[in-house]
Amino acid sequence: MSLLKAVGVIVLDGGAPLLQPLSLHLDPGEPLVILGETGSGKSLLAQALMGTLPPELTARGRVAIADRVLDTGSPDRFRGLWGREIGVLPQEPWLSLDPLMRARAQVAETHALVRGLPRGEAAARAQADLAALGLAGAERRYPHELSGGMAQRVAIAAARAGGGRIVIADEPTKGLEAGRRDDVASLLLSEMGDTGGLLVITHDLALARRPGGRLIVLRSGAVVEQGPSRQVFAAPQDAYTREFLAADPENWSARTPRAGTEPAVVSARDLAVSRGGRSLFAGISLRIAPGRIFGVTGPSGCGKSSLGDALLGLIPPDRGTVTRRPGDHPHAMQKLYQDPVAAFPRKRSIGQTLADTVSVSGGNSADVDGLLDRLGLDPTLLGRRPGAVSGGDLQRLSLLRVLLRSPSFVFADEPTSRLDPITQARVIRLLTEIAEKDGVALMLVSHDAALIRNTADTVLSLDAAGTAAISEPATFGTPVAEALT
Amino acid sequence: MIVIATPQRRRAMWPAARIVGAAHVLVVALLALLGSVVVPSDPFAQSLVKALAGPDPAAPLGYDHLGRSIFHRLVDTLKLSPIITLAAVATAGSAGLVLGTAAAALGGWIERSLVILADALLALPGLLLVLIVLAMVPGTALGFWAALSLVLWVEFFRLTRAATREVLASPAVQASRLLGFGPIYLFRAHIWPEIAPMMLTAAAFGTATAIMAIAALGFVHVGLRAPTPELGLMMVELLPYWREAPLALLSPVIAIFALLLGLTLLAGSRKS
Repeated sequence: MSLLKAVGVIVLDGGAPLLQPLSLHLDPGEPLVILGETGSGKSLLAQALMGTLPPELTARGRVAIADRVLDTGSPDRFRGLWGREIGVLPQEPWLSLDPLMRARAQVAETHALVRGLPRGEAAARAQADLAALGLAGAERRYPHELSGGMAQRVAIAAARAGGGRIVIADEPTKGLEAGRRDDVASLLLSEMGDTGGLLVITHDLALARRPGGRLIVLRSGAVVEQGPSRQVFAAPQDAYTREFLAADPENWSARTPRAGTEPAVVSARDLAVSRGGRSLFAGISLRIAPGRIFGVTGPSGCGKSSLGDALLGLIPPDRGTVTRRPGDHPHAMQKLYQDPVAAFPRKRSIGQTLADTVSVSGGNSADVDGLLDRLGLDPTLLGRRPGAVSGGDLQRLSLLRVLLRSPSFVFADEPTSRLDPITQARVIRLLTEIAEKDGVALMLVSHDAALIRNTADTVLSLDAAGTAAISEPATFGTPVAEALT
Repeated sequence: MIVIATPQRRRAMWPAARIVGAAHVLVVALLALLGSVVVPSDPFAQSLVKALAGPDPAAPLGYDHLGRSIFHRLVDTLKLSPIITLAAVATAGSAGLVLGTAAAALGGWIERSLVILADALLALPGLLLVLIVLAMVPGTALGFWAALSLVLWVEFFRLTRAATREVLASPAVQASRLLGFGPIYLFRAHIWPEIAPMMLTAAAFGTATAIMAIAALGFVHVGLRAPTPELGLMMVELLPYWREAPLALLSPVIAIFALLLGLTLLAGSRKS
């Protein structure tokens, strides 16, 4: 008997269908993965199944959970199932945690209030949950003291503490590095066991491959392909599925690294940075030449972003010096953000923000049109606010804004970690093209070692202990250049 | 799927409670502005023969215990206390905005001393503070303005400082700084759009609080002095005659109730 059975679920925005009729069932012990790029309607499907669609959208179709049959058109009836039958793993770790509560208390709260355990036992269980996720020692930290990956793990512990048999995970690995990604997958699988149900919604191919079970590939609200996961990955039938699988950074063709002989745009000597009293790394020396791509990779919390911020002068280094190329204008060092929505003024149209940037950098408004064309962006996007533009388009608009300043150095901080593989490949290709043609020194930071390996000229890998190794891509993994500590 | 909220559409989505609140405030404002134009008379003219008499064409709400037209006293007071209040809210709002932004942007000892000052004022009961200032400042209306400004700025200051700190720490501001934008742009593009809705809500609540404070002090005879018409003063004067002239007592009660309800609905209703 299925734990969850959905028949003919559709989602409508006014009269326009966003999700074509879709039926699925979730069996105990057999995970179901829904794979699709941004805008494919996979999150809408999850929201329709949980009764959490935004009020302006309507759903139709029936969902049977346990012994109850519910109509997705009346989402209020789903409420009683939350936490007890359906557990939801949140997408944005920082937004889903209480900023004023320490990590262990967040998890203990669910044990105490949803499962009804006594306080002491709830705290002990929470402690064990956190330890199992590798968070021992972090239980008394507040969310702002946790890295993105750690916050995500706390949120996972809190979500599964309610004891729901069905777990719906909507992009559970967004922004996590590979090692943790596997941990999350194993954690979800072990929590499911033989009797629970697991529905994973993702654009992450590595995560989609991991649990096995069955797979549904969605595109523009319609099912492209479905079947046993192993079979779809081994022999994809649909052309779109094949394109999707090819966009995995693991499958990219490697870049031929080029050495930079020109004077460096930015260089650092013996750099040491600490954050919150904890030393992140020390003794890093590097130089980035114009038109070259300097990749930085490492686990979350290792200081990848802090290294870039130190080069930009946003955080002061403990020791060491950062030198810029003489003669560059003071705003020639720019940054691309992991979450482009957060990098634009929230309540201003993008066109307005770009116009402001043109006027502050003394250019003319034709620059914007030229760049829109070059980056393949639709000019109608300019009338929208940042929240109403898809992640891939907005990241390209951020690049456009940065280019209006004619930068000599761009620090791209996980610019594609929130994008689906197809969009990610497009954005990275664009970034590398711009760097080469305009002679911009690009520092590309990503948790995805394969992406960095196949994109960068020089790779700096950091580990959690603050050990750094610089290597050429051809010999990646066996650092020959210089090992720095 | 994200829906873009254009200004027109947002206006159309004004919740019912807010429309009702705005209607209340509008009716009271029209009464205050047009009352003496529609039925001209003097709020101070006495006619003891007509004491506590019922409504007539010259006095649509009847007469008080000294034979003065309740309607005209009401119209007069509905001009006086809102003017004092609006002046105080405007002063407090601008002071709170400037000091709050400065505290968040400059930090250091400036922020610390402003926070200590605000917390110290917050620790004193508002009405007590108003009484102290009233005792020091000559002229009751001026005193009320000064005192209410002193009480109300703390709220604006705290809101502005908290919101501005958050905005200034955001990646969006970091990006704008890297692009070379100055502090004026940061305020205009980042800070003001975030705090403006909060400021309007706080202003509506502040106005309601201040009107209530003036009436409360009038009611205990320490606010505006007779014969100046004032809502609290009118209520306490007419209280002994509630049996003979219930309408006379009810008029100021209904007026202040409508005004406060209107302001609270205007401020407090958020789209759920």
